[in-house]
Amino acid sequence: MRDDEKEQSLFKDARVIIFIIAILASVIFIQPWYSSDEGFSTNLNYGLDLEGGSWLQLKLQGAVVQLDADSGLLVKEIVNINLAEDVTITSVNEGEDDLTITFTSGSVLTNNQMDQIGVGQTTISRSNNLTQVELHTSKETLISAYIADSLKTEVIPTLISDGVEYEIRTAITQEELESLMEKVGGSIVTDINGDPIYKEGVSTETRDLTKEILSDKLNSLGLKDIPVKTVGDDYILIDFAGIDLATAKNIAEKPGKFEIRIITQGNQSKHVLYGDEIESVSIVGYHEDEGQWYVPFTLTEAGAQALQEIAIETGATLDPMSHNLVMYLDENEVYSAPLSYSAASKLEQAPIYSWQASTGADEDSKTRAEELQIHLRAGALPVNVELMGSGHVDAALGQQFKIQAVIAGMIALLAVAFVVFRKYNKPAILIPMVSTSISEAIMILGFAAAIGWQLDLASIAGIIAAIGTGIDHLVIITDEVLYEGKLPPKKVYLSRITKAFGIIFAAATTTVIAMSPLVVMGFGTLKGFAITTIVGVLIGILIARPVYGKVIHEVLAAEAEAQ
Amino acid sequence: MEVGLTERLDSFVRKHNDRQLVTLPLAVFVISLIILAMTFASSGSPVKLGMDFEGGTMISMATQESVSAIEQKYADYPITDVRQAGSRIIMQFGPMNNELQQELVSDAIDTYDNVEINQIGPVYGASLQKQAVQAVIVSFIGMAIVVFLIFKTFVPSVAVVLSALSDIAIAAAFMNIAGIELSLATVAALLMLIGYSVDSDILLTTRVLKRRGTPQENISNAMHTGITMTTTTLAALVAMYFVSTFSYVLSPSFSQISLLSNISIVLIFGLVADMMNTWLLNTSILRWHATNVGTRRRKA
Repeated sequence: MRDDEKEQSLFKDARVIIFIIAILASVIFIQPWYSSDEGFSTNLNYGLDLEGGSWLQLKLQGAVVQLDADSGLLVKEIVNINLAEDVTITSVNEGEDDLTITFTSGSVLTNNQMDQIGVGQTTISRSNNLTQVELHTSKETLISAYIADSLKTEVIPTLISDGVEYEIRTAITQEELESLMEKVGGSIVTDINGDPIYKEGVSTETRDLTKEILSDKLNSLGLKDIPVKTVGDDYILIDFAGIDLATAKNIAEKPGKFEIRIITQGNQSKHVLYGDEIESVSIVGYHEDEGQWYVPFTLTEAGAQALQEIAIETGATLDPMSHNLVMYLDENEVYSAPLSYSAASKLEQAPIYSWQASTGADEDSKTRAEELQIHLRAGALPVNVELMGSGHVDAALGQQFKIQAVIAGMIALLAVAFVVFRKYNKPAILIPMVSTSISEAIMILGFAAAIGWQLDLASIAGIIAAIGTGIDHLVIITDEVLYEGKLPPKKVYLSRITKAFGIIFAAATTTVIAMSPLVVMGFGTLKGFAITTIVGVLIGILIARPVYGKVIHEVLAAEAEAQ
Repeated sequence: MEVGLTERLDSFVRKHNDRQLVTLPLAVFVISLIILAMTFASSGSPVKLGMDFEGGTMISMATQESVSAIEQKYADYPITDVRQAGSRIIMQFGPMNNELQQELVSDAIDTYDNVEINQIGPVYGASLQKQAVQAVIVSFIGMAIVVFLIFKTFVPSVAVVLSALSDIAIAAAFMNIAGIELSLATVAALLMLIGYSVDSDILLTTRVLKRRGTPQENISNAMHTGITMTTTTLAALVAMYFVSTFSYVLSPSFSQISLLSNISIVLIFGLVADMMNTWLLNTSILRWHATNVGTRRRKA
């Protein structure tokens, strides 16, 4: 009669029900399975150090800054860098939306040369051996061009609420930038506190673009399951499961083969240029008046001349519609469109340096433009990257590590069981204690399987650590409950178990607090260790240990009754 | 055996007064600090920094070649150390440029079996180092705040925090003596120690402050539980240490897992230090506090 009551109360207890559900759910998530041909398998994901493969950690180099400078000096420097001509600035007119700069030079300057610099519309006149150039431009264009030309890199200006932010896509220190700006009578803009607005790194958009280019490149090589992760603002981590480090580095560093061809007849085409003739690729834009999404890009001197030559040769300048311009990446067609009539007629006269590849008007066209932007770069990354770290584990070695880690866990558990048995000398205590520990391990693994967490060596160390604190807490509960080796009266038992949980909650809190800085700031190895430890401690105190408190009471009561 | 240890420790604590008890742990603490200071003076860091923080390349592989043959073979690279562990050789290199790095990696992967490579750039290493220092400091302060919030009394809280600090100092000094370098794994172990080591201190302090009975009785009770706790954890760690470090002795197909090996050895020493600090240092401060404040309160 009394026994029945007890059974009922144990299985009706909410804590016990939650515990049983958690265990069942964990087993379902882990899906342990044995078949004669595949052997033992589970649904758990393993990290590279257990599975074999390699990883690369890259840092994106760049700076995001706000700048100001003298427009006249900027033009003088830009012309000097590009054409090695010393020009005299005669007037600078700063209007509402328009900046007009007039300068003169003793040498002959052509429209073609001005187009090549590509900072705006120019009108050139020549009289008395003096060339006068009127340039319509904007300050952002000038500053971007100046930095880009000086550093041989890309500079992307973005309008923000309090001005223009420039993203410089190469490594440059604040001091280097300051001295560069001094040459054009400028400086880094300071904020209200007087601190220069300079941030090392790149914008989130650029970081994501870099990530996409890498993913795209890996996909085009048939490596579909290679995850490219961004870590923090300027780190990218690539896990190459099953690929050795030497190959992985080659893949990440080598750009793809990009080619532009012009259709001659039917599906015959003629080579125009390769990816190395593309000087820069800008961000996707939208033409309001034409209703077209487009990607702007510029060609090198040789590239622009090759395009003009082949376009005239194939007849594309006279009949653009039957001579499409086709772009290929690694032999696959990624874009095909005719020259616009205006471009075609202009090409008759001179090479064009700045191009825009239009994709259409709808949302799909926007996506296509974004993809084309990636393809135009031919897998070359928009920013310079620096290899920060890398690693490699052979698959066979990973397998060995996995087996050894499991053995280490098993032997650790046996050692703990031995110490506990020596201390209490009672199977009635040993069995619930060891079972609780095992159940905690199952639940941690179940959680890992449920969220798709990758178990690496560090995570396994974290699980063993969590089990270690778990046993400590079970010892505290047992010793509190046992009163001179026996079960105390109900009232004493209740106050004692409350105290025991007070102690273990306090102890668990310190462990969680001590490990949490690693979750927030650490990455890689330490993060896995910290997360599994914290999850393990939480599962332990919230799910497993309350049930142990309940079970140990029942077991001791049954024992007392038997005596 | 652990029963014998508890009883011996218990009678030692009973027989000696607070000042006598505190001498040994304080002496060890001070010696540890001196060791850390000496290492700091000679290397600029209290614990010798490993590759994770200095930058460099580690390559370990299965081979029958001798250490000197390997040293000869890779003499063109900035090789700093070659060690043998069972059927494996572990090589360490200083920082090198990308091309040389690529050449070395290809060579190792093509020539040997069961290769493991780890490379950290010096700049990345420096940023990891900064983060690791921050993590340890934030973690320690967080733990101290939790301890003060739990006990809300000054002296017992300080005793817990002091013994945790001493645990870490002793574990770090031990690393210097044993020649274990600070790596990501050992930082993780030191942080774990911050969490682990206060468990037994919290148990002790709660029992002494909140249970009825004389402080000495409560200390003895807490000691029985606490020593069991620490010995079970130590048993698990010793098992982990042996399997990850010496299993190749039993079967040549096994290899050292340095991550598990380093985490466990640092934790083992931290916990041995913790036994001393909890049951001598923390106990004596707490017994002094409970006896004096307790008597005063009773008189009032």
